[in-house]
Amino acid sequence: MRESLGDSLSPMSAEAGRFVFDGRRLPYEPGDTVAIAILRTGEHPRVGGTLCLAGDCGNCVAEVDGIAWVRTCQTPAGPEVEVRRHPADGAPAWHDPEPAPHAIEVRREEADLVVIGAGRSGTAAAAEAKRAGRQVTQLDAGQGTEVVAVYAGPTLIARTADGMLHIRAREVVVATGAAEIQPVCPGSGLAGLFTARAAQQLQAAGVDLGVAVAIGPAPDGVPCMPLPGELVRFEGEGRVSAVVTRVDGAEQTTSCDTVILNLGRSPRDVLSRMAADLPISVIGSAAEAFPLPPPPTAGIVCACAGIGVDDLQGVWDRGFNELELVKRASLAGTGTCQGAACLPHVRAWIAARSGDVPEPFTARPASRQITLGEAGADVHLDAFRRTALHDEHVAAGAQMDRFGGWWRPWHYGDHLAEYRAVREAVSLGDVSTLGKFVVAGADAVEFLQRLYPTDVSSIRVGRSRYALLLNERGHVIDDGMICREADDRFVLTFTTGGAGNAEMWMRDWLETWGLRVLLLDRTMSLAAINVTGPRAAELLGRLGLHEPPRFLQHVHTELAGMPVHVMRLSFTGEASFELHHPVDRSAELWRSLLNEGADLGIRPHGLQALFALRLEKGHVIIGMDTELDTTPRRLGMDWAVNMEKPFFIGRDALARTAVLPDNRRLVGLTMPGEAPTEGSPISADGAILGHVTSSFTSPALEQAVMLGWLKRAPFPEHVEIDGRAAAVTEAPFYDPEGARARA
Amino acid sequence: MRAPEPLHALRVVAAPEVLDDLAWADDVAALRLAADDLLAIGAASVEVGGEHLIVDEAGFVGWWLTADEVRDHVLPHVDWPLPTARPALAQGLVAGVPAKLWLTEERALLLCAAAYAHELEERL
Repeated sequence: MRESLGDSLSPMSAEAGRFVFDGRRLPYEPGDTVAIAILRTGEHPRVGGTLCLAGDCGNCVAEVDGIAWVRTCQTPAGPEVEVRRHPADGAPAWHDPEPAPHAIEVRREEADLVVIGAGRSGTAAAAEAKRAGRQVTQLDAGQGTEVVAVYAGPTLIARTADGMLHIRAREVVVATGAAEIQPVCPGSGLAGLFTARAAQQLQAAGVDLGVAVAIGPAPDGVPCMPLPGELVRFEGEGRVSAVVTRVDGAEQTTSCDTVILNLGRSPRDVLSRMAADLPISVIGSAAEAFPLPPPPTAGIVCACAGIGVDDLQGVWDRGFNELELVKRASLAGTGTCQGAACLPHVRAWIAARSGDVPEPFTARPASRQITLGEAGADVHLDAFRRTALHDEHVAAGAQMDRFGGWWRPWHYGDHLAEYRAVREAVSLGDVSTLGKFVVAGADAVEFLQRLYPTDVSSIRVGRSRYALLLNERGHVIDDGMICREADDRFVLTFTTGGAGNAEMWMRDWLETWGLRVLLLDRTMSLAAINVTGPRAAELLGRLGLHEPPRFLQHVHTELAGMPVHVMRLSFTGEASFELHHPVDRSAELWRSLLNEGADLGIRPHGLQALFALRLEKGHVIIGMDTELDTTPRRLGMDWAVNMEKPFFIGRDALARTAVLPDNRRLVGLTMPGEAPTEGSPISADGAILGHVTSSFTSPALEQAVMLGWLKRAPFPEHVEIDGRAAAVTEAPFYDPEGARARA
Repeated sequence: MRAPEPLHALRVVAAPEVLDDLAWADDVAALRLAADDLLAIGAASVEVGGEHLIVDEAGFVGWWLTADEVRDHVLPHVDWPLPTARPALAQGLVAGVPAKLWLTEERALLLCAAAYAHELEERL
């Protein structure tokens, strides 16, 4: 009984017919695979190479019905089948579309014991397990289910005629048999070379092999002449016409039409090599330690990637002296057959040099070519959140875009009008995406004192403070507000993109420190609207907030009939009130604000305007203006760090680096005219010093304002950006005293 | 998939042993989201001893589903093993969306943050 990953995933044709091969109609016989039908006509599915006809090598792949890299030896011939040979040099053409991912079904199953392979050992193992009371699922490509990947779980990914199958198993037995050793010597790319089992298949199919010789034992039932000695090379033009062997030190040339190669076997264990520390066992021939072939001395070792013995020697000489490195450096084993053909030869080659036989390399999914559609079947894109105001934005004509895991309005059609509404009247911004956390408990102050570089204990109830969040290296990882609600209760805000990491960061440290603190993420439970502009307080008064909080104060109150936490701060540079409120009432509040502010010139603003407004104030955006190793000093924000505190995360690093010279600084820049593209190089005296992180042509200041990195000290006062002169300037550019924000 | 229903709940954060001792009416689905975090769907009030946070939670939406609906609409999109005990709370990706499943003998509640509802509704 065959013990293999099997034949086709579709039933064999029961009748003779014709299929299309490179535009020609060729005949096939009942039961033919495409490869056998092609060979029957005297041609080769590719340009040449030893054929195993068992799905192990990549020498028969072709484009079938528009899908490239299909093993024709596993594909039934049929009247509708259209086959096109891959180009002799280069990759096959890309066809668009191939089956789209959504068109391929994924079936998920749970299983107790999965046996892969329905050969002798697999069938025996399945029967024994059933007798022991196990629930056994047996998978075999020959029966329509081809396992192509093993992942943690263990989870098996299989291809079937109906789509993809994902099976999570308690235990897996791999019984996939053994592959035949392929020859490595000059001429191994010729047509007319077959492994012993392939020759038997061809003989059984009635394919005329012509004058056949065998290297190694002659396979049963195949008329051929066994040749003594050791294989040296094949000779011929496109197709083999002779084989050269060495007998007693002398070369002998034997003319032939076909060479049958019976060179030994190697375990077909690729699936088990994908899995480490999983309940997977290998049995039968797949577990057998077959002898390796002689180390190759010349010719192509990895036919899939075209890697020869010389290539192996080249990477070896450069110091890649172990199997995994040889594989990575040479790419041997990374092609169509995933090492099924070349791995024994590469191991033998390395063993001859190192004296040790290396273990086979780790295998990676997928073991067989699958289409992008099959790989992507049922795989979802990242889910992006919508705020409760999403429909309001869309109805207002907003262009929505993805930022920090959320859909956010980029603009509502005229970002400059939105900018002016903030600077001259009043505007609304949807800031529901900000991270919002409640921290409470007996140790809340102690926790926040350790977490933040600012002195949290000095924040009075009802007040708030801007704070940086640092890691142990003193690098800025996020920023936000700390609002004190009671002696032992705070509300923290974080950036939209940083909220998730901030929560993990806080929970990690809470667990480490063992403090009595309760932490609740309210990011997706509370919506937030920023009411900003010189007429913001007037608008809130119309909704019932007659005594709005002063700058950096916050209050819990009722607004438009709903509970609202009002935080007075400013990111835009104008008076700003963040209204945190229940997410299910956000649209109601949004509409109330727009209605009440209609005669005040109100309009919503998107991120494009917001980024410009904050840039005029010199406010940084973490991740946009900062880098992974940005310290408060490099931002010019030492004022946000209280080194008098005995401890906070990052303090030791800041203390150590404070005495060292630092040649990086985020600076403000101005220049006449239009703002340069963000990312533009900043140079001085012909040398590039850094780049622009944010830029905007400011209507209020009638010049370009920018933030950018200078990475070479001493920092110049004048630089060049886009071939134009720019000045290094103190930020903020707009309202440097902050009078408007405090108004 | 039909549109989800808003879920009104109390969110209680407290020490695990405090949450362990809470008693709930039969019509309240008390989902233990974490050792120190409980979502009580349908609860109007609760008495909690010791340090705690209680907030009105409006951030979740859900679908009450029959066993057949779970089998047909949810399980094909779940790539992790479901608990076998009932009632049980399972949390993970459903069709690539962070979600939770409250499984009882009679029915199941599939819930997710309202911010993700559109994604889950479209994908199921």
